[in-house]
Amino acid sequence: MSFETIIGLEIHVELNTKSKIFCSCSTEFGAKPNEHTCPICLGIPGTLPVLNEEVVNLALKAGTILNCEINKLNKLDRKNYFYPDLPKAYQTSQYDIPICRGGHVDIETDGVKHRIRLNRIHMEEDAGKLVHLEDEGVSLVDYNRVGVPLIEIVTEPDIRSVEEAVTFLRTLKSMLEYGEISDCRMEQGSLRCDANISQRRVGQDTFNTRVELKNINSFKELQKALEKEEKRQRELYTFGEENKIVQETRRWDSAKGKTIPMRSKEDAHDYRYFPEPDLVPVIINSIQIQEIKEALPEMPVEKKKRFKVLYSLNDKEIDIIVGDKALSEYYEALVSYGTNPKTGANWILGNMLKLLNEKELETNQIPVPPNALCKLTEIISEGKISITAGQEVFKEMFYTGKSAEEIVKEKGLSQISDTKDLERIIKSVLDSNPQSVSDYAAGKTQAAGFLMGQIMKASKGKANPQVAKALLDEQLKQRV
Amino acid sequence: MNIEKMTARSIRRGIMEKQFTAKEVITSFFEKIHEKDPAINGFLTLCREEALVQAEHIDEKVKNGEQIGSLGGVPIAIKDNMCTDGIKTTCASKILYDFIPPYDATVIKKLKDADAVIIGKTNMDEFAMGSSTENSAFKKTKNPWDLERVPGGSSGGSAAVVSAGMAPVALGSDTGGSIRQPAAFCGVVGLKPTYGLVSRFGLIAFGSSLDQIGPLSRNVKDSALVLEAIQGEDKLDSTSVKHSITKDYISSIEKGVKGMRIGVPVEFFQSGLDDEIAASIKESIEKLKALGAVLEDISLPITTEGLSAYYIISSAEASSNLARFDGIRYGYRTEQFENLDELMEKSRSEGFGEEVKRRIMLGTFALSSGYYDAYYNRAQKLRKKIKEQFTKVFESYDLILSPTSPVLPFKIGEKSSNPIEMYLADIYTININLAGIPALSMPCGISQAGLPIGLQIIGPHYGEDKIFKAAYALEQELKLAAFHPML
Amino acid sequence: MKISVEDVNYIAKLAKLSITSEQAQKMVKEFESILSHFESIDKFDLSDVPLDLYSEDMKTVLRKDETSVFPDKKKLFQNVKSMNDTYIKVPKIIE
Repeated sequence: MSFETIIGLEIHVELNTKSKIFCSCSTEFGAKPNEHTCPICLGIPGTLPVLNEEVVNLALKAGTILNCEINKLNKLDRKNYFYPDLPKAYQTSQYDIPICRGGHVDIETDGVKHRIRLNRIHMEEDAGKLVHLEDEGVSLVDYNRVGVPLIEIVTEPDIRSVEEAVTFLRTLKSMLEYGEISDCRMEQGSLRCDANISQRRVGQDTFNTRVELKNINSFKELQKALEKEEKRQRELYTFGEENKIVQETRRWDSAKGKTIPMRSKEDAHDYRYFPEPDLVPVIINSIQIQEIKEALPEMPVEKKKRFKVLYSLNDKEIDIIVGDKALSEYYEALVSYGTNPKTGANWILGNMLKLLNEKELETNQIPVPPNALCKLTEIISEGKISITAGQEVFKEMFYTGKSAEEIVKEKGLSQISDTKDLERIIKSVLDSNPQSVSDYAAGKTQAAGFLMGQIMKASKGKANPQVAKALLDEQLKQRV
Repeated sequence: MNIEKMTARSIRRGIMEKQFTAKEVITSFFEKIHEKDPAINGFLTLCREEALVQAEHIDEKVKNGEQIGSLGGVPIAIKDNMCTDGIKTTCASKILYDFIPPYDATVIKKLKDADAVIIGKTNMDEFAMGSSTENSAFKKTKNPWDLERVPGGSSGGSAAVVSAGMAPVALGSDTGGSIRQPAAFCGVVGLKPTYGLVSRFGLIAFGSSLDQIGPLSRNVKDSALVLEAIQGEDKLDSTSVKHSITKDYISSIEKGVKGMRIGVPVEFFQSGLDDEIAASIKESIEKLKALGAVLEDISLPITTEGLSAYYIISSAEASSNLARFDGIRYGYRTEQFENLDELMEKSRSEGFGEEVKRRIMLGTFALSSGYYDAYYNRAQKLRKKIKEQFTKVFESYDLILSPTSPVLPFKIGEKSSNPIEMYLADIYTININLAGIPALSMPCGISQAGLPIGLQIIGPHYGEDKIFKAAYALEQELKLAAFHPML
Repeated sequence: MKISVEDVNYIAKLAKLSITSEQAQKMVKEFESILSHFESIDKFDLSDVPLDLYSEDMKTVLRKDETSVFPDKKKLFQNVKSMNDTYIKVPKIIE
């Protein structure tokens, strides 16, 4: 009996606005607790909300990028429940008429294409943050995040494997980054993912009981949580105990490496939605939609196609570079300054990513400007320094910010590529090693290797290996 | 000085003309309050210090030959559900017994800009839920015309204060008649403006789609003066009027009613209406006819059902609006609690009064799954029908005239035990809130027992100018503006 | 319509209000009479009343994406009964 996994995702994305959704407090991350608050987002009695136009714009952009239908008339509703991180005791969200409906994202896993349909995208406000002090028996509430604008993207249960789920989220993240809708950082909470997962026998067309997973804080955790839950569910089916799978919410505990049933938010299901009386309906006109379509930046799919044609990189290389907006922009700048596309790709995928990781920097924080790296690649291609030396120089550039020329000068890394100089060195080496020369003449080709070694030694490693080799071969021919 | 008989306009003029100072005015009024309020209990909080500072400010301006605002030096009392920065605002509820707002409501800002002087916060039914001010957690306000009777509600404090001459004008709020009915009970003029004409920012919400702030005064011109000062678009209120229809009402107020077509709904004169009230209204109808208005019978069905729609919608919105009161960020917090749930539940249960709890329960019920379509949704549809009904009438008529209340001011304690009876008394006023149209109540007679009778003039959206014209003409004809036995 | 004490208790829980069984009994009676009054709206045929809110003269109300700071933070929290530095303190929440 074979099973298939059914997964649906609910993704919350913090929008890139300067101010909150209903008031003009800042949305900046990392402030002191309760720094970014005002009577409106604190829900002080008597206050009223006014909708931020940029929230609507970004939600529309997201809908356009994700191929959704736009509901030209949509409204906000109150979702009522009690929780200390919700000052008004209701969240202003969208219930039955969200800003976008439908939509899809095309993904590819192991060469297999799959279209994942979306159900809807809606606007809503975020809640505050809670900090629990175990030993003091209290919890602390910080309302900075209350009112930060979010869009919630809900997929249809079209995802059929854990791998697809991770690929989907990566693809979505990339698209939202390109659209400048959000900075999509899971570690900072600007991208959050809840998953719904169930199993069914292959061939069945109905769905079985699904379980909701929460507290997933990274791509790795998404994979682990889904794999764990998939295993748990399948085991129950295998032993005929599938009735033990109940519709519930389980919390991913990364320390324990398992999913744990959450304490139910009692009566949480009767949210008593009704239209928000303090706001008027949102009206979108066709011109607005058109303008957004026209102003869209290049999306990953187009960029990948373009890269393939322009730069002749392979798919894997393109995926990695294009997968990161900042990286792809850096790459293109690098090439525009004159670096060979393949060379540029090698530098980025190799040394660049390695050093970024080492220094714990993001791809939008690369300390070496593209034209500086280009200069370096030029020096190397002109033979002025060896490739090995070049890597050393790059590292130095990365950490100190100095230019390639400066570092080469300081460290005396210039390569000897001048043929006259090399000829002299080679002649002197050959003169000093008559045995090796005769060995070579006798057919022992490894003698050439030894001689190269001597040449490098004599030149203190500065001989340009390619040029030296060619000259050595010539000189040897002459002597033989 | 006979300050208590002066109109707002004459107070301002007197200060401008240096007949007296703002400080003298304010001091006089506080003396009146000291003298009369112990018997009436109209005020919850007095702002004597702040008021005197304001008054001095104004006197400086006058001394320097500067212009003072349209309400310069005029003392005004504010219903205690409007936020006043630094001054306790309680909504007459235990749950907000010590709440000090960190900001001013927009209307308060506007009043200050007009140089009005806020002298105190007035008593009300808790969270504006009620028609007698008996639901206040703190005091029982008495009707100045008969201290054993209620002043009406929920703006009973504001109406009583104006009626007793403790302030020339006051602000109230009206969700289902809460300005108009107490105005009728206390023999003063009360206006509920068109929904959206006056900003709700800073008004502690009860029924968000129904609430409006409006003036109470002893004459029509003062009402127009205050409305001019507080009306207008507010960027902080998404439901406030978008186009700046800041009409000037005073300049056209004396134009008279000649040719005005006024409809009188037959359904409003059926059984349940007190005979004396009916007779008094009919007299006013004749007076208006004599002045040149055309009065005709019209039909306005759906009046009783409007009552149900009103209670469902207002309770539903209130249940959501009042959910934020949980003891965590402000207000009453219970003393003993084991956990967070208990803290919230006990604070609310101990902090809210019976009527408030009843309406929260009703509203929660109407919105809960399974009942939303049967109640809330249907109520909204009915509301739409009622609105259309009024729109249709206003195609052929300038105004509609009706009684404000079916009963005369009743005795304290008489009706409050029966919620249904209390709800039914709202019958003439609630449909106006559902439709979002403006309406004014003014005194039109005195009953045999010496109690005031109120008449309601209803207008189309943004038709306040028409309402004022008719009200002023009638007021002059009835000469009731000068009649206040307790002054 | 008929309401049970269970209904009233469920609603009380949703509304975070605690009521005694006496209060619950009393509310059952009150609700029944109020709700039967509400049934007067049942007699209308409202099937032709569309609640799609759109009307020609509607305009959305939006504000510009600009920040401003509420100057006096202390004032904002002056009504809180228990703070911990700049946090608001509540009894421990179990998630």
